[in-house]
Amino acid sequence: MSVDKEEAHQRLKAAVHYTVSRICQKMGEDYRREFSRQVIAAIAETAVRQCDIFAKDLEAFARQQIECLICLYLFQSIYIQNKSEELNQEQRDLKKKSTGKRKSRDTEEEESRQ
Amino acid sequence: MAERDAEIGFKKETVSKLLSSFFKEDKTRRKCTYPTDCLMMHLLICCLIFPEAAVRSQKQAESEDCDQVDIEHFEKILPQLLLDF
Repeated sequence: MSVDKEEAHQRLKAAVHYTVSRICQKMGEDYRREFSRQVIAAIAETAVRQCDIFAKDLEAFARQQIECLICLYLFQSIYIQNKSEELNQEQRDLKKKSTGKRKSRDTEEEESRQ
Repeated sequence: MAERDAEIGFKKETVSKLLSSFFKEDKTRRKCTYPTDCLMMHLLICCLIFPEAAVRSQKQAESEDCDQVDIEHFEKILPQLLLDF
């Protein structure tokens, strides 16, 4: 059973490797620079590891739910968790800028009235 | 040519099987469903990351004036790539 699983996993890895190699080949043709085999293997391995990390995160989040259902909300929350702080910071900056502009406009209007 | 370009990409079934093979618990594996919208989003992310990795490696090789993209170039761009995605 475990041998079958291992074989299936290897096949999936091979599929990812094939797709990545095609992407790299296309890029190489576009930019006229070939990719070495090691690079293609490294990118494919990175892809598989990313999937591994993602699956583990999803499983950990799903365990907390009453229904063991991975919904889009969960997916987004995992993907966005690291970005949320950056987004908040950006929003704060935008607010500051807009309030700053308003203040400057108000002061200009007051000065013109005077 | 355009048709050939459109064909390059990860298959939905491959990504789905790959993800479900990484679920550790049998309970989760049995019960968890992976909806299509989720899968499409993951597919989209996969389709974004790897061309991005290839382009960044290309640019690194270009800045170092090399004819071939080597593993060193990929090693240089990898930390920032993983931080970005």
